[in-house]
Amino acid sequence: MTTVTIEVNGKAVTAEVTPRTHLADFLREQLLLTGTHVGCEHGVCGACTVEIDGEIARSCITFAVACDGATVRTIEGFDDDPLMARLRDAFSTSHALQCGYCTPGQLVAARDLIRRKSIEPDLDIRTEMSGNLCRCTGYAGIVAAIETVAAEQPAVPALARDRWAGPAPGPGAATAAPVKPAAPAAAPKVTAPRPAAPKPAAPKPAAPKPAAPSAPSRPVEVEVGPVTVEAGETRFTQTFVLEHPGDAVWALMRDPEQVAACMPGLALDPPGEDGRLTGRMEVKLGPIAAGFSGEGTMRRDDAARRMAIEGRGSDRRSGSRASGRVDYTLADTTADTGAAATRVDCVIAFTLQGPLAQFGRSDLVRDLVGRIGAAFATNVDVRLRAPDGATVAPAELGGASLLLGVLFGRIRRAVMRMLGRGS
Amino acid sequence: MKAAAFDYVRPASVAEACALLAEDADSKVMAGGQSLGPMLNLRLARPARLIDITRIPELGRVEESADAVTLGAVVTHAAIEDRRVADPTHGFLSRVARGIAYRAVRSRGTIGGSLAHADPAADWVSSLTALGAEVLITRADGTQRRLPVEDFIQGALASALEPGEILDGVRIPRFSAEARFGFEKICRKTGEFAEAMGVAVHDPARGVCRIVAGAAGGRPVVIEASRGAGARLLERFADAAAVHDMLTEAGLAGDAYRMRLHVAAVRRAVEEIRR
Ligand SMILES: Cc1cc2nc3c(=O)[nH]c(=O)nc-3n(C[C@H](O)[C@H](O)[C@H](O)COP(=O)(O)OP(=O)(O)OC[C@H]3O[C@@H](n4cnc5c(N)ncnc54)[C@H](O)[C@@H]3O)c2cc1C
Ligand code: FES
Ligand code: FES
Repeated sequence: MTTVTIEVNGKAVTAEVTPRTHLADFLREQLLLTGTHVGCEHGVCGACTVEIDGEIARSCITFAVACDGATVRTIEGFDDDPLMARLRDAFSTSHALQCGYCTPGQLVAARDLIRRKSIEPDLDIRTEMSGNLCRCTGYAGIVAAIETVAAEQPAVPALARDRWAGPAPGPGAATAAPVKPAAPAAAPKVTAPRPAAPKPAAPKPAAPKPAAPSAPSRPVEVEVGPVTVEAGETRFTQTFVLEHPGDAVWALMRDPEQVAACMPGLALDPPGEDGRLTGRMEVKLGPIAAGFSGEGTMRRDDAARRMAIEGRGSDRRSGSRASGRVDYTLADTTADTGAAATRVDCVIAFTLQGPLAQFGRSDLVRDLVGRIGAAFATNVDVRLRAPDGATVAPAELGGASLLLGVLFGRIRRAVMRMLGRGS
Repeated sequence: MKAAAFDYVRPASVAEACALLAEDADSKVMAGGQSLGPMLNLRLARPARLIDITRIPELGRVEESADAVTLGAVVTHAAIEDRRVADPTHGFLSRVARGIAYRAVRSRGTIGGSLAHADPAADWVSSLTALGAEVLITRADGTQRRLPVEDFIQGALASALEPGEILDGVRIPRFSAEARFGFEKICRKTGEFAEAMGVAVHDPARGVCRIVAGAAGGRPVVIEASRGAGARLLERFADAAAVHDMLTEAGLAGDAYRMRLHVAAVRRAVEEIRR
């Protein structure tokens, strides 16, 4: 809990909030200002629109704790505002509401639009209001109401142009927990009750630095086929060429333990008594971080130099589950240099369930898998070039490329399974 | 859905923010929270601690020099849209800002957060790449480094930020009065992330001609003319088939539909400055 002081609709409110409480919940549940509605809770629908220091904002993706020292105005705070009264009338006259769920957000956004732009000759109300969804009216009434009021060009006091250029309220705000400039550790800190995560006494290292591989790595180009998503399963192909003869590549790629070692972020447990292998895969995609624990099985065809791996795993923290398959086949080819080379053709498919599956950006998948594949292929190449007996550092993705990890998670899990039966 | 519990700290300086970031690998910087907020609510992201950088005076700065304008990382899209901060592109930045999301998101979303998040479909990622802008980064030890936006963006949601580093500003070069800018964002609904984006910048006085195809799922693709060859490069965009080949050669890939979108976006952007 932390103490915040926020001016809400003209009254200074000092209250205790947990950092995770967003402004809309704070307004509705702690202050009982239920005029602010909550629709999507991820910034898309506009039902929760309020003013913070005079600028409209999404109260569902703004945390109350971040508003310490700010001035907030909700729909209830516009009761005596002449422009809002005008808009309310126009909304009734133009049938701009039916169920009314979107209306508080529509009104707050419409008033802001008129404040900023009613004098613009080619004001495009539909575009400007596109951040406020309405499931009832079909928008015609809303647009007509705003048009009517905008045409009157009401005078509304403008905000100071030289105000803080960042998100409100900025450094000048009088907060409940004032920032003490003295010691570096003086930043106000709020601790949420977090069970299973004891604070380490010593600072955690930011990230373990990987040991340098014994052979310098050279990038291997990976071609990614089109990514398709069907019935929840994402599928794609990946192809790369390694400048090593087929026997050598297969010797590595038939051995799940070595394959796993080339996958950044994957840690395998020692083989158990039943020969089944399990492991853990750390993945990171932008701010998304997950640790999948899983197990797997594999089928290997030495004659055809073909491997099929299947796996399943779950991320305890988010409660997400994933399953996937990786199929790869080796084929002899010739490098540009004329040397013997091996083409590796992979077919990868995976399904993700639970919170992490909400990240439905399949357009990002292609880039991710390309980068994961490139890191893997480069690691295989390094291993194959390492002199016998040389220790090869465990594969790591650079901070940036870790995002590929989501897919890799599945791949790795799959790898673990292969390990299960094959070794 | 509600965010999982996290701790919250509010440093007063970049140095303090870097120190906080370095002491706990499970910490996340929060600027406007307009990308992080949704991910927290959906529990896609579950950092143990948020470091709110929006009260750091230097991150709201605007520095003008003879050849560039530097905007602090937490300058909002809305401040740029309203031309409350210096614009070395004679209004192009304002136009790009206006097309990002919705006003209620632009009022908190920041230029630095947009770059650090590195969503390939983000408007600043493509447009600042085309402008040849640079990202200023403060390291955990207090030293600074800078690199071009096109090198900073390494892939989908992947930037060159190392652990403990904070993006502290964006340096945008000044363009001459005769510079021309073309911008095309293709999306199904206004304010959404782009499905394809084309940006064209031509400033003969500075010898700059850069064309960017963005929102392709990875880092933006840059096609650039050497000094003086700008007009000739722009001519080549009249031919759709040639543009398709140029984009493919530059590494852009996708199915036939997506490729058509990319070709159309880039050609419209170029068309705008050839007019
Ligand atoms: C409904 C909706 C629609 C949107 N549509 C678009 C769109 O069409 N085009 C578009 O470009 N964007 C769009 N956005 C995203 C918006 O522009 C965000 O504001 C922006 O992407 C992130 O900025 P932020 O300040 O909110 O960053 P935050 O959400 O606070 O942070 C994003 C990430 O960057 C990191 N970060 C932030 N600042 C720094 C820093 N200074 N140093 C180091 N790391 C940092 C954070 O740790 C986090 O991982 C949309 C958002 C929403 C909610
Ligand atoms: S509830 Fe906030 S935008 Fe939908
Ligand atoms: S009136 Fe029902 S959602 Fe708009």
